Amino acid sequence: MSTERSEGKFTQSKLDRCISCGYCLPACPTYQLTGEEQSSPRGRITLMRALQDGRLPFSDEGATEQASFCLGCRACEPVCPAGVEYGVLLEEWRDITWRGRKRPLIIKALFQMVQAPWRVNVMSALSPVARNRKGATQVHLALGCFERRLFPKVSKAVAKLAPDVSIDRSQGCCGALHAHNGDLEGGKELAKELGKKLPGTILSTAGGCAAHLSAVLGSDRVKEFSQWWSAPLAPIMKNGRPIRIGLQDSCHLRNGMGVFKEPRKLLQQLGEYVEVPNAQGCCGAAGSYSLLRSRDSKKVIAPKVAAIKTLELDYLVSVNPGCTRQLKTALRRARVKTKVVHIAELIALAP
Amino acid sequence: MAAQSLASALASLLGADRVLDDAAAREAYSRDATPLFKGLPEVIVAPHSTAEVSEVVKFARSTKTPIIARGAGSNLCAATVPLNGGIVLSMMQMKQILEVSRNEMLAVVQPGVSTQQLDDAVAKEGLMYVPDPGSKTVSTLGGNVATSAGGLRGLKYGTTKNYILGLEAVLGTGEIIRTGGRLVKDVAGYDITRLLIGSEGTLAIFTEITTVLSPRPKSSKYGVAYFNNLAEASVAVDSIVASGILPATLEFLDNTCIKAVEDFAHLGLDKEAGALLLFGDDGSADSVEKSVTAMAEISSAARGVRAVTLAPDVAAADALLYARRCSLPALARLGSMSILEDISVPRPQLSRAAEAIEGIGEKYSLLIGTFGHAGDGNLHPTIVINKDDADEVARAEKSLADIFNLALDLGGTITGEHGVGSAKLPYLKQKLGDVSLALHRNIKSVFDPDGILNPGRVGS
Repeated sequence: MSTERSEGKFTQSKLDRCISCGYCLPACPTYQLTGEEQSSPRGRITLMRALQDGRLPFSDEGATEQASFCLGCRACEPVCPAGVEYGVLLEEWRDITWRGRKRPLIIKALFQMVQAPWRVNVMSALSPVARNRKGATQVHLALGCFERRLFPKVSKAVAKLAPDVSIDRSQGCCGALHAHNGDLEGGKELAKELGKKLPGTILSTAGGCAAHLSAVLGSDRVKEFSQWWSAPLAPIMKNGRPIRIGLQDSCHLRNGMGVFKEPRKLLQQLGEYVEVPNAQGCCGAAGSYSLLRSRDSKKVIAPKVAAIKTLELDYLVSVNPGCTRQLKTALRRARVKTKVVHIAELIALAP
Repeated sequence: MAAQSLASALASLLGADRVLDDAAAREAYSRDATPLFKGLPEVIVAPHSTAEVSEVVKFARSTKTPIIARGAGSNLCAATVPLNGGIVLSMMQMKQILEVSRNEMLAVVQPGVSTQQLDDAVAKEGLMYVPDPGSKTVSTLGGNVATSAGGLRGLKYGTTKNYILGLEAVLGTGEIIRTGGRLVKDVAGYDITRLLIGSEGTLAIFTEITTVLSPRPKSSKYGVAYFNNLAEASVAVDSIVASGILPATLEFLDNTCIKAVEDFAHLGLDKEAGALLLFGDDGSADSVEKSVTAMAEISSAARGVRAVTLAPDVAAADALLYARRCSLPALARLGSMSILEDISVPRPQLSRAAEAIEGIGEKYSLLIGTFGHAGDGNLHPTIVINKDDADEVARAEKSLADIFNLALDLGGTITGEHGVGSAKLPYLKQKLGDVSLALHRNIKSVFDPDGILNPGRVGS
């Protein structure tokens, strides 16, 4: 059994692990949409095997479509009895098929934006991100590239809540974007660079970044915010009652790092916690997916919006900027009044 | 008929959105959960109604095209691998629960509904859909009926065949038939419902299923007993049943399984033990307490017992059940391929079967882990091999013949709950004999005169 990966191929031992039992089918959002085997994790692994053995060419349109249609949410991993590392296989697949000119234009543009630390800084120059500072502990805050630009209040909330955490705005991208979009080596390199730039514990407010950094640098080096926060919290009141709060899991935080109890425990202290139906299911943001496949992305989130609407929450908490953006947009369109916030922003509101 | 014209003819019949024939889709539907079997279909059709199923079957008949109905494709006997090409009829667009009747204690569902989905829906009414095949989260009712799926509660509750009241199905002629209905008692005519259960898509294609429901048990409790070997655990199982207890759960694992599960799941199992017996019951709190205590006492007094403990809480019980459920994947991690068998023997022969399987493993130098439903005599010897080692694959195939012969010699069968499919077809004659086999063929030709329904399998 080969554990090595050769150029342009999947790691054979990772493909061999799948026993084709099909337990992943009900967990897969794209299979739920189509009911078609080729858009299930097991079906996609059957396709990968055909590509590996040469029964299908890597240029096959139907197969390439499936590599792209997959959200990469990894909901198939916790339910897999055989321990298939589907997320890794998908990254290898995109690495092989999206190489060079075949990579979608939007992805190329995103890569360009975060290619060097200075570009990330230019992008967020006008955003009110937390200021540079040297904290008392060996904990450094990772500033997600797109979170800095879109949701600067998140890093500000962390700066206010955790005065001992160091912040260095000259840091670059963690490389999750690259790893998920067919540039495995680039993704690894960027993570390692960030690891050197931020010594000690890296604290991340983005589930996607945390999971990628943790996979490359090791789980002892990387903590996601809800996993790291330990101080007790008091309830936030509104009109004389505790606020009603729901949570949308971050797929990679939950399925990649196994972190999902932690944010719930914090939210239970902050108010009346309500479990959103299928909170563990992908919201359809899936990193760059919502940009690449906006129609499919909307289909995935539609049932979630309907469910959230009936819950009449004050706050819906997100632990990843992509999810925040997706949920904000979808709830606004559906005229749902629930506010979408990052967990650090909500904690910052606590008395 | 050429694949291209087959797809376009079907598309013009039902609409292009019902038909798939690109290379990737055909590849994805070329196999099910059974290792070693593979065959490309020409086209995949996903009907939305009984009328559409009938249309497709009539078309297939007119062109003599094989047609294989498929649910989630989680069967373990290669019943849905399109070895002869043709049409795969995916039933996954027909997944409505049509009715749950509390006062009649029944449900009416379409074939693509998953076993779990039905059980969850009726749980809201305090009811239970009883059969619980290992793959219940993914398997469909259509597939369950087609294979008469079993599960972990066979001894006390029986299997799928005990829970089906009626069917709507499409015959090989395209005609639509209704069998049985909503009645507990109905002896008008042959029991065609029962004939269709377990027919593996060779006689008719199910389009609607009426199932029996039961009240949901109020509580459950589990315990574990360790023995020196499977044979001694089997004797304890015999004593438990002989004492007049009919428990919901009596499952066992051999030492190979215990070690594999413990290394994988770290549940604190005794890796030195030769066998683990998981016992449990469900019902009212009183009756559960009584039967579980009695089972613990009988086990403690049995020969070769090492230790007996009761699960103190739900978490501990879940861990025990998980140990049993993850046996196969835990074993599968030990090699690149695992062949899961499914023999069944009369319960008093269980200890002899367990010993003999160990001998077969030694004879062919194969790693065989055995787990199974000790209560109903159903054993799953699992052969773990390296698929690239041709010699090992050949030895595994030889050992299968020995295992099937063993089951038949002990008055058992070649498959207890997985089905015949293509995987066990070579051994079917030995089990059934010439007269029964001929009768099977004659029955099939009445339901399916042109032999288009899942050809090459039972009855062909």
